[in-house]
Amino acid sequence: MSRTLDRIGTWIGWAFFADLANGLALTFGYMFSKSVTMQYPDKEKWLPYSRYRGHHFLKRDEEGEIKCVACELCARICPCYCIEVIPYEDEKGNRRPAKFEIDMARCLFCGLCEDACPADAIALGQQYEFSSFSSRDLVIGRDDLLGKPGKAMTGGGVVAARLNTEQDVLVETSEPQGYNWWRNIRRT
Amino acid sequence: MELVVALGLIVFKVALLIAILLLLPLPLTWLERKIAGHVQQRMGPMRVGWHGLLQPVADGVKLLTKEDHIPAEADRFLFKLAPILALAPPFVVFVAVPFGESVSVLGTEITLYVSNMNVALLFVFAVIGIEVYGVIFGGWAANSKYAVLGSLRTCAQMISYEIPMGFAVIGVVMLAQSMSLLDIVRAQANVWNIVYQPVGFFVFFVAGLAESQRIPFDLAEAEGDLGAGFHTEYSGIRFAFFMVSEYAIMLLTSVLAVILFFGGWNGVLVPLPPLVWFVLKVAFFVYVFIWFRFTFPRYRYDQLMAIGWKVLLPLSMANIIITGVAFL
Repeated sequence: MSRTLDRIGTWIGWAFFADLANGLALTFGYMFSKSVTMQYPDKEKWLPYSRYRGHHFLKRDEEGEIKCVACELCARICPCYCIEVIPYEDEKGNRRPAKFEIDMARCLFCGLCEDACPADAIALGQQYEFSSFSSRDLVIGRDDLLGKPGKAMTGGGVVAARLNTEQDVLVETSEPQGYNWWRNIRRT
Repeated sequence: MELVVALGLIVFKVALLIAILLLLPLPLTWLERKIAGHVQQRMGPMRVGWHGLLQPVADGVKLLTKEDHIPAEADRFLFKLAPILALAPPFVVFVAVPFGESVSVLGTEITLYVSNMNVALLFVFAVIGIEVYGVIFGGWAANSKYAVLGSLRTCAQMISYEIPMGFAVIGVVMLAQSMSLLDIVRAQANVWNIVYQPVGFFVFFVAGLAESQRIPFDLAEAEGDLGAGFHTEYSGIRFAFFMVSEYAIMLLTSVLAVILFFGGWNGVLVPLPPLVWFVLKVAFFVYVFIWFRFTFPRYRYDQLMAIGWKVLLPLSMANIIITGVAFL
């Protein structure tokens, strides 16, 4: 009996376009929901999480010495063979990398080098803006890697940013911690 | 002297009307993209001007500076004629459309319409019928199979939806006892026609959606699955002509819906100037058109024809009969 009533109700709903009205109400509601657009790069910028795998960086120990012992384990485990390490012995008798090059054009940012490293010397940091017109420029050497930004301490926010086209395509943030982007997501 | 003033007034009105109709697509495209963006939780145009307000100007400049390409095998005369044929009828129609009674400027009464025809409604439907020529010439002259197919589809759609549209307004004509749009609005001073003619309005509005080739009946264009339909081979300024005519027809459908069913410039509750009421109502219908576009999917072609001939036509016929019986 109730099934028949349901069916009659559905038919009445169809006759008065209840389904179309539902659709219209939904899109109308979405029209007044917050937009999820991030206006990168000239207004807003995304701060990556601390686990984000961006551009590699090399760490230094307390004395300011490079931590890497040039064991070449990272070069071995790299699935796309983009790391090249050539060791040498420094004046203290420690094994250090004479050449440490990562071809960012080939790297797939899997983070295996970070996992394999026995000296905790290499890690994938927070930088993600390193596009280039030439793949030659994407081969990064030892000294550049030492200067790259490390892991993010906080993250997951959107901060105000500005595009500086004078010198380079640079994003300058003005706030340390932005708003939580996920608050804009409408969940129904 | 009086003749000169009257003539000057008419010329001024026509010029103003043309300017408004030519410029209105600019904010309308911006509005459409903005609404589309917000419905889909995007922002829409943001970069050119404040919140992308100058985006239509940039698009216009782009269209004007694009190469005006004519296919080698095309019938050049018809190819050039078609956009004008598509653009002219929606503009001509507005001659018969009143926007209000009259306003007094500097002591002289200025009527807010170019001409008060006693067969204005007939004129509107007759002129809008010419629109089909622009479509079929455009598709045929380009000498492209796809354009011809698209124009045939559009033609069949427009012609078959013009019939229920014409029948749907007969109920309104019976209520007002006149075909003059001015008299139709005056007849609705107390009660709007939508109260007496809900079915008529439904048929008119659905047919209007099909006439202006908007979703869910935009099979002519169908951005998702076709190249472009009948204006596949058009580019640059000629393509802009087709776009402007499409927006003008959308505007015309909204204006007609307001005049025929929603009391024209008669307000309710809030005492606003009649022209403001009119513009507000038209803006609401334009918004509904855009809102529909980003809500509904497209009908299949056989479904489109089935709705036109099997649903809307009998409905509009029944509407006429019931109105007639109730009127007796």
